[in-house]
Amino acid sequence: MIDPVIDPADTGERRRRADTAPVITDLIDEATIQSIAEEAWQALVGEEEFLVPLPGDAPDDAISSWVEIVGPWNGAVVLTVARSTAEELARCLLKEHAPPVLDDEDVEDAMGELANVVGGNVKAVLPGPSVLGLPEVGAAPTAGSPVDTCRVDLLWRGQSLTITAKGAAGAPHDPSELDPHENEVPL
Amino acid sequence: MKILVADDSRVMRQIVIRTLRQAGYDDHDIVEAEDGADALAKVSSEKPDLVLSDWNMPNMTGIECLQAMRASGSTVPFGFVTSEGSPEMREKAANAGALFLIAKPFNEDTFKDVLDTVIS
Repeated sequence: MIDPVIDPADTGERRRRADTAPVITDLIDEATIQSIAEEAWQALVGEEEFLVPLPGDAPDDAISSWVEIVGPWNGAVVLTVARSTAEELARCLLKEHAPPVLDDEDVEDAMGELANVVGGNVKAVLPGPSVLGLPEVGAAPTAGSPVDTCRVDLLWRGQSLTITAKGAAGAPHDPSELDPHENEVPL
Repeated sequence: MKILVADDSRVMRQIVIRTLRQAGYDDHDIVEAEDGADALAKVSSEKPDLVLSDWNMPNMTGIECLQAMRASGSTVPFGFVTSEGSPEMREKAANAGALFLIAKPFNEDTFKDVLDTVIS
């Protein structure tokens, strides 16, 4: 058996720091996410559409759309609204092309594109290089670590809109959380 | 002029086409493509004068489409309309031969600023 050569000055702290992913709250704040969302809403939803920074009632029939970001920070940017709000948003995006009865595909497409635009602009603020995933739509992804979550509660036309940048579940972000026998940070 | 609009989101294709009209480009023929592979095929079959393409798409990304076009000898003007407008993405786009990159969200003024020189 070969004994490992250990530098007595190497406590492992620097290596653990390098292996530790940053948390989202160190990289972006609520005001920046809100500003990105407001710009997206006014360009895509309508010039007179405003987002009010107040929490709304949590919808019973929530629908979420999100894009994943993989890079120095790993996680997802998630938009969550009530189903009826998602339909209203789809009508705003489609404008004169909105059919009398919206199908699920239109609603999911509109929600996905809003997540894509907000997520793409969040990605631009984060350290790179990063890769943006394709939009996904469905039930809200499981909540991540509270220390790696930046949540913005807004109202659009009086209805709840939540935007959350949340780290990939399971990624430890504090060096003290790391297993001292592990060299890799699990994703 | 014929403009090919490539985006995997039907909603976003409608928004791009609407913004083109709002920006004053309402007398051009518009052809739609639903991903990069579809765009590549339609560059050959439809012979557009300009391609406006999303970056992130299934089957074939926008930049893969552009690279395939240039590899096949196509010199059709190509610009990105994408949610990713970082300097890194703009550099990648320019290196691949894109004329411009319009970041989402955009409005008709953004389109006018960028497209006036290309379309004229």
